[in-house]
Amino acid sequence: MLDSLKDVIRKSSIHACLINTGGCNGCDIEIVALLSPRYDLEQYGIYFHNNPREADVILVTGPVAEQWKENLQRIYAKAPNPKIVVAIGACPLSGHVFNQEGSAIYPPLNEFIPVDASVPGCPPRPTEILGALLAVGPDAIAAKGRQKE
Amino acid sequence: MSSVIWYLYEFARKGWVENFAGAATDREIVESPDRFRDFPEVIRELCIACGACTAACPSPAAIKLVRTNDKDAENGEGITYPVINTDACIRCGFCAEVCPTDPKTLRTGESHLIREEFTILPAEKMFVIDDYLCIRCKKCMKACKVEDAIIEEDNKVMIDQSKCIACGECAKTCPVKGAIKGIYISNVEGQKDVINLVIHTLEDLIEAKQDELKDLPPEQIMKFEVPFADILEEAKGMLPEEEQIRDMVEKVTDRLKLRIITWNDSKCNNCRLCVDDCPSGAITYDEEKGVQRDANKCLRCTTCYQTCPFGVAGSYVARFLLTSTELQEDKIMVTVKPALLPFRG
Amino acid sequence: MIVPIGPIHPALKEPLRLKLQTRGEKVIGAEIDYGYVHRGIERVMEGKTWQKAVYLSERVCGICSYIHTQTFTETFEKIAGEEAPLRAQFLRVIANELDRIQSHLLANSTYFNTIEHETLFMYMLSLREPVMDAIELLTGNRVHMAWNVVGGVRLDAKEVHLKSIMNILDNLESQYARYPQMFEHGPLLGLRSKDVGYMSKEDSIKARAVGPIARASSITEDLRTEKPVYKDHLDFNVIWRGEGDNFARNMNRFDEVTESIKIIKQAIENLPEGKVRKKVNIPAGYADNRNEAPRGEVAYMIETNGNLIKNISIRTPSIMNIDACARYMFKDVATVADAVATYASVDPCIACTERVTIIDEESGKVHEVNGLHNVKSINLK
Repeated sequence: MLDSLKDVIRKSSIHACLINTGGCNGCDIEIVALLSPRYDLEQYGIYFHNNPREADVILVTGPVAEQWKENLQRIYAKAPNPKIVVAIGACPLSGHVFNQEGSAIYPPLNEFIPVDASVPGCPPRPTEILGALLAVGPDAIAAKGRQKE
Repeated sequence: MSSVIWYLYEFARKGWVENFAGAATDREIVESPDRFRDFPEVIRELCIACGACTAACPSPAAIKLVRTNDKDAENGEGITYPVINTDACIRCGFCAEVCPTDPKTLRTGESHLIREEFTILPAEKMFVIDDYLCIRCKKCMKACKVEDAIIEEDNKVMIDQSKCIACGECAKTCPVKGAIKGIYISNVEGQKDVINLVIHTLEDLIEAKQDELKDLPPEQIMKFEVPFADILEEAKGMLPEEEQIRDMVEKVTDRLKLRIITWNDSKCNNCRLCVDDCPSGAITYDEEKGVQRDANKCLRCTTCYQTCPFGVAGSYVARFLLTSTELQEDKIMVTVKPALLPFRG
Repeated sequence: MIVPIGPIHPALKEPLRLKLQTRGEKVIGAEIDYGYVHRGIERVMEGKTWQKAVYLSERVCGICSYIHTQTFTETFEKIAGEEAPLRAQFLRVIANELDRIQSHLLANSTYFNTIEHETLFMYMLSLREPVMDAIELLTGNRVHMAWNVVGGVRLDAKEVHLKSIMNILDNLESQYARYPQMFEHGPLLGLRSKDVGYMSKEDSIKARAVGPIARASSITEDLRTEKPVYKDHLDFNVIWRGEGDNFARNMNRFDEVTESIKIIKQAIENLPEGKVRKKVNIPAGYADNRNEAPRGEVAYMIETNGNLIKNISIRTPSIMNIDACARYMFKDVATVADAVATYASVDPCIACTERVTIIDEESGKVHEVNGLHNVKSINLK
């Protein structure tokens, strides 16, 4: 009874934090576009605060630049449990065009923090991000919350 | 208070009810335009395994050619096709643009509709040094326009492909014919066809002269000429440019050494020594027909020639040269001579 | 006292560390730490053919990605001594101006978000979506368009596309006029914006500020006036203002959107017939090329050996603008909140700034870390 009540609460109010680990900005502005009245992320109960201390979902873009190798783990530790990490775009998955001789990046992301879901594309369309977030986010957070107890 | 009135007014409106009942997702949210480049769609059957897409892809891990298992396929030969790794694909549509098949194997957005008459791949030719022929004179290193494009490593002279601009200066200065080769990157399938065509035509011509060869006394050679125009005519269907065909034929004939095996049935005493020795099973024994050789299975290894005590099998080597003079038509000179193996009469 | 902001902070969309020096409530100066998005793009581009490097140049920055490919391809055309067909140049103008509109709307929406004016923030974003649709309709992707090639553009625009872009622009124009007025006459917006983050003309020259930020401080430079296709075929005004504060910078962008709509309409009406792409044989050589990006001047300096890129250096506008912001705008700002708003008003694009150059804030020296000795540095007027 208590569990299902907690599930409902966790599913209906999700706070997200965006971390750009060295990407080109493309995925970030597509996430900003999600806030626009056309897509309206907040109608699904997902709020953007960009503050890791109150985040349930950490969205990561970018191919993990030098500075982020340690900072990522620090930020991940600061987010309260239960939390899920969603990798947005192709950068955190493989580093795509940047991952060549001479670059200063260290993909993939899951070498540094555990990744629960990913949205491929460079950049993914807002609908694709929205679809992935809604398909994965609420249930994954509820499931993770139950695991801890 | 005013906001309460506004809400009451809003709820009382009929339009609000209609809108609420007919609520649906906006069309533009779910639909994407025709030109939207999604991850490329692969049509496996059309692929010719040329590798243009993997060479063109700007992302290192995004596209890969794979081959299905030969045993699973019906005709004994698996198919090769590209596979897109969505984790690394940047959806630029360049693979669909460079794909040479018609219709295209890769499709995305409207990129597969682009078909430029000029090659999109950066250079037509790739230059490599044949280490077997290189005499290490290092003339090419001096002639090279680009710094460090030709380097010496472990007493080997090599071309750094990332720096080479394919100008061809090195090939002009090289004193050894064929030590530096310009390889055409495009039309790989066509090039293979031309090579096969040249070799098959020449071999058939020599096989047709078997009777002359059998009577050829030792330490004598046979010479004849093949007009180049015949081969050129047939090859035009395989490669688009005459210049490239010429270049291919010249390269093929330069280094080609064909082994010719002749079979003189009249000398055979049915001792069957060669039947067991033949590695490919090309020689068989039948009580009615005697010892038989299947030319299609033959590997030209000359084992039978070395085994046979009666001189049934003969071994000859053929060499070729493409001559081009202004006075007469281009010809391929053919020279056939007995192999330099111990001769058994 | 030093107040650190970032790299992950509710006010910042991109990672950067602002160290604000404060006395009481007042902000008297700032120090900026870069280095959070350094990828080494220029180094990766070296030794590649332009066919591959054009996709890397696109990913220098996600907001103004179009102008990067355009400058990159134009530099190669300059090395070859040729020009793209006129139709391709017009199509480039259309895509470039559409990109400018969406970038300016996004920049203004970020500013309004920073000063907590959510109404205008939402209005700006909803205005921006149809423009993104137009871009996607024309080129095939919302952000990284992959449309430019050396010698022209990849796909021709059809009549249908031009018609629907015209429709979108008509709609945009009919709705647009009220938002600059809201900003201009809104009393609260004025309080937060007017006389905040002032930069004089002399300071902006000293800081080498470019683009709308410089044009808000009485500098009347616009590189578009020097481009042949703009000069000969299109009619437009250079927008500039004299106030030099946050209000002027945002109004400047608002007015430039109107100007861009005008340019696109002219370009579509006068679009010449012909091919959109031609073959360009690239010899060995060096060229530099400048263009007006949404944020100011972007310059490419490329040395090629005819096939591969030997050396490449990219100069993007944001690094000068952020520097100008830190050095001259943060002199006398009333509160920390205003300082963040000032920072947002210069339209910072961190992804642009960080490639190979490191700027030492204390001595003001610029260190090149990859040893590009043979690439000349470009001086501003």
